[in-house]
Amino acid sequence: MDDLSTTAPAPSETPAAAGRVPTIRVENVYKTYDLGEIQVRALRGISLDIYPGEFVAIMGASGSGKSTLMNILGCLDRPTKGRYLLDGKDVSGLTKRELAKIRSQRIGFVFQQFNLLSRTSALENVELPTIYAGVPMQERTRRAKEALDRVGLADRAGHFPSQLSGGQQQRVAIARGLVNNPSLLLADEPTGNLDSRTSVEIMGILQKLNDEHGLTVVIVTHEHDIAQYAKRAIEFRDGRIRNDVLIQNRLIAEEVLPTLPAPDEGLIDALGNGASAPPNGSATQKK
Amino acid sequence: MIVRNTLHRPVRTAITVIAVAVEVTLVIMVVGLTSGLLVDTAKRTEGIGADVMVQPPSASIFMAFSGAPMPMAIGGKLQQLEYVQAVAPVLVQFNSVNGLDLVYGIQPESFRAVSGGFVLHEGRELQDANDILIDDVYARAKKVKLGQKLHILEHDFHVAGIVEHGKGARLFVLMSTLQEMSGAHDKASVFFIKSDRTDHTPAVMDSVRMLLPRYEVRALKDFISLMTSSNLPGLAAFINVMIGIAVAIGFLVIFLSMYTTIIERTREIGVLKSLGASKGYIVEIILSETALLCLAGVAAGIGLSYLTRLILLKVFPSLPILITVKWMFLAGLIAGAGGLLGASYPAWLASRKDPVEALAYE
Repeated sequence: MDDLSTTAPAPSETPAAAGRVPTIRVENVYKTYDLGEIQVRALRGISLDIYPGEFVAIMGASGSGKSTLMNILGCLDRPTKGRYLLDGKDVSGLTKRELAKIRSQRIGFVFQQFNLLSRTSALENVELPTIYAGVPMQERTRRAKEALDRVGLADRAGHFPSQLSGGQQQRVAIARGLVNNPSLLLADEPTGNLDSRTSVEIMGILQKLNDEHGLTVVIVTHEHDIAQYAKRAIEFRDGRIRNDVLIQNRLIAEEVLPTLPAPDEGLIDALGNGASAPPNGSATQKK
Repeated sequence: MIVRNTLHRPVRTAITVIAVAVEVTLVIMVVGLTSGLLVDTAKRTEGIGADVMVQPPSASIFMAFSGAPMPMAIGGKLQQLEYVQAVAPVLVQFNSVNGLDLVYGIQPESFRAVSGGFVLHEGRELQDANDILIDDVYARAKKVKLGQKLHILEHDFHVAGIVEHGKGARLFVLMSTLQEMSGAHDKASVFFIKSDRTDHTPAVMDSVRMLLPRYEVRALKDFISLMTSSNLPGLAAFINVMIGIAVAIGFLVIFLSMYTTIIERTREIGVLKSLGASKGYIVEIILSETALLCLAGVAAGIGLSYLTRLILLKVFPSLPILITVKWMFLAGLIAGAGGLLGASYPAWLASRKDPVEALAYE
C-alpha cells in the first residue's frame, strides 16, 4: 500500500459516514474452510463499513482473503462467524434461497472473466437478472436497453459475446450488474483480462456510475494502478485488513484515456464527455 | 435461450432426439402391429357376414388357438333353431410358412349361405380337394398367381381362385381336406350363424345358449371390441415389456445427455446462480431443454413410425399396422415422462451447485 498516494483517516470517521447506515457493515467476520485434515482460515476477524456512494478497492496477494470477503459481500457465501449487514439488514444467517433473492435484487456482479452466456445476445445477457427478480417482460427489455446505453453499447444489443471485444464484453457484464438498479456493484478483478487502455475504459465507466449515479462500487484487484481509480483502498494480508485508507490523488479515467493510444469511439460516447488529452499526455489526478 | 442451448451441441442433441424418436417409434410400432393384427382379424371375421359365432367351452376368441373340438353334428342342431337362416362350420388352422396366416376349411355352400359368397377376382370357387382360394391381399403380398402351386401345411395346393379380401381368413380350402390333413374328422373350430333378421340375433343367441349351455356364444358385432391384447394370453405382457424397454432407452439417453450438459455448463450455472437464479429456475431450464428435446423426438418418432410402416408395407403388403392418434399421443406422453424423469436427477444436481465452486470450475 506504500505506493498508493494516501492519507489514512478511518473511513467510518469521515464526514460521509456521519449518521448514515452503511451499505456494507462487516462485524468480526471469520471464514474457515474445512478441508478434511486441515482447516484454512481465510478470514480472521474482519470488520469494516462501506457507506453509500463509496468506491472501494480491495487489494491483496493471492490467498489474502480478498476473494473470500467478496463472496461473502456478494451473498454467494456465508461467514463461519460474525455478522454481515447489507443496507442495515443482517444477511449472514439467511438461507440460500433468501441470499439468491438478495443477489438478484440488490447486488450487481462483474467478474474477471466476464461470465457472459455465450449463446445469448448482449441484450439477453443483461436481461437475465431481471428474470430472477421477477420484472415483467416488457420492463425487462426496456431496462436492459437502458443499461446497455449507460455503458455505450446500445448499438451492440443483438451481438453475441463472441462478436464483442473483451472490453465490450466487460461493459455488457457491467450493464448486467446495473440492470436491477442494485445498491451495490461488486467487481472481482474487472480489468484482470483486459489490456491497459480497455482497463482504464472500464474503470471510467465504474467511476461514472459512482460519481454521477451514486452507486456504491467495490472492486477486488491486485493491480495498484487500477486501485488508484477508487476513492478508498483496503489491503488484505493473511485474512486480516492490513490497511484501510482514502486515496488522496485519485486517477480520473476520462482524463487518462486521451493519453492512451487507439481510443474506442464507443466508449468515449459512453463516458459522454468527448474528453481531450492533457497537453503533457500524462495521467491527471484529482483531489 | 433454451433452443440455442440445445443447438449448441448439435451431435449430442441429434443423438438424443433420435433416441427419443426410436423410443416413440418402438412404442407406436409394437402397439400398431399387435392392434393392427387384432383389428384386421376382427374386421375380416366380422366381414364374413354372420351374426353369431359359436365356439367350444372356454374357447379363445382367437379361433386358431381352439383347435377343432366341436362335432359337426352341432351344425344340424343349430340350423333347426328359430330365426336361424344359415349355419357355416369352419375349421381353422394356422399356416406359418412364409408368414403367419389363418387357413379356413369351409363348406362352400354353407359358407356362401352365411357370407353371401366370395367376390371372385380371378378363377373359380373351391371344387377339388387340392384347391385353395387366396384373397387379393395375399396374392399381391406373396406374388401368387392363379393356377400356381402353393405349398402350405405340408401340402401342395392349386390356386383355384383369387377373391376379394375380408371374409375371415386369407386362405380357404375345402373343409374335408383340412379335416383330413389335421386329423380332425367330423370336427369344426367354429360355427357361424346367420339369423333371418338382425333384430333376432339376441333371440338366436339365447336359443344357442339354451342348446349348448357351456359353449361360447358371441355376437359378431361385438367381436372387434373383444379383440384386444388383454384377451390374448401374454400379448399384453409382451407389449408392456417392449414399452418398458423403449422407456428405458429414452430415460438413459436423456439422463446421460443432460448429465453431461450440466457438467459442461457448471460455470454457466454458477453465473446464473450468482445473478440470483433460484434452484427452481435452474431446474426449469434443464427440464425445459429436456422437454424441447422430447418434443422434437416425439415429432421425429411419429414421422419415423409412418416411414417404417411405409417400408414394412412395401416389403410385407399384408401386414396390418394400425397407427392411431391415441397411441401417438400416449407414446409422446410415455417418452416425455421418461425423458423428464431421466433429466430430473441432473436438474436437481445442477440446482444444488454451489455458486462459488461453480464459478471457479474450469
